[in-house]
Amino acid sequence: MLTVHRLIHPTRRVSAHCDLPCGIYDPDQARIEAESCLRICEKYAASEDPNFRARCIHIKEERADLVIGHLDDLWHDYFKPVHLEKYPDLHDTFWHATKQASTVKGSLDVEEARKLLTMIDRIGEMWKATGGPEKTRVQ
Amino acid sequence: MIRAVLARPAWIIGAAGAAVVSVGLGFLGRRVLSHLDAVEVSGRSMIPTLRPGDRLLVETWTYGRRFPQVGEVVVAPDPRAPTRELVKRVAAVDDGRITLRGDAARSTDSRRFGSVPLAAVRARAAFRYWPLARAGLIPPAIAVPPAIAVSD
Repeated sequence: MLTVHRLIHPTRRVSAHCDLPCGIYDPDQARIEAESCLRICEKYAASEDPNFRARCIHIKEERADLVIGHLDDLWHDYFKPVHLEKYPDLHDTFWHATKQASTVKGSLDVEEARKLLTMIDRIGEMWKATGGPEKTRVQ
Repeated sequence: MIRAVLARPAWIIGAAGAAVVSVGLGFLGRRVLSHLDAVEVSGRSMIPTLRPGDRLLVETWTYGRRFPQVGEVVVAPDPRAPTRELVKRVAAVDDGRITLRGDAARSTDSRRFGSVPLAAVRARAAFRYWPLARAGLIPPAIAVPPAIAVSD
């Protein structure tokens, strides 16, 4: 039944989510993929085999995309407006971290991968400080 | 002319809209109102058609009279969690079951949870009333269908 009040404050939610929110959010997921990127850059530099190097590039790009996806999930789903009050630089941090993940996707520079890890660790600190481990890890 | 209206401060449009709506609701009978409801969209799987935060009028009148048709945007309970309601587009209707798809390339829909029974789909998303700048009828078909099935 439609009322003016329901028009102004619709309480009925219809969901167009792209997955069932399982409530599990952990920056380690992004970190492990970013660590892979870093190691792959090292292995690439140490190898002379063109086939191995081609595989390195291919796999690193996949892993960097996974980093972006995991960071996006944290950004969009875990963090809430109350967290933004505590960390006004939250959006900036994620924006730079996802951009850095794109840089790593297209680069074979170990230092770029290391920068990405530092940024993910900063997000990890915010996740910890907002009670992430208690809220999202299965005990 | 629409541009001229939209250029006015939001509160004038808002107040005019509220006046039109409340007068309109006054004229509509309870029978009509009982077929209508207001809902808010969450999630991104219906982008570009619907965005998170869009407010829609949904109606149950149509599907009381005929079956849902391919292309229509509908509200249906999530088969995996029936207290949740989904908003998706009808991709196919056959054998008493409806296949649902999101408009976005990334969407959890019938590719993941299968088709839903015809009887589960009772409401049609008819009209977006908020935000005003994108107010209008919900288009009954998307120009470019999602090209690939993505599992998440």
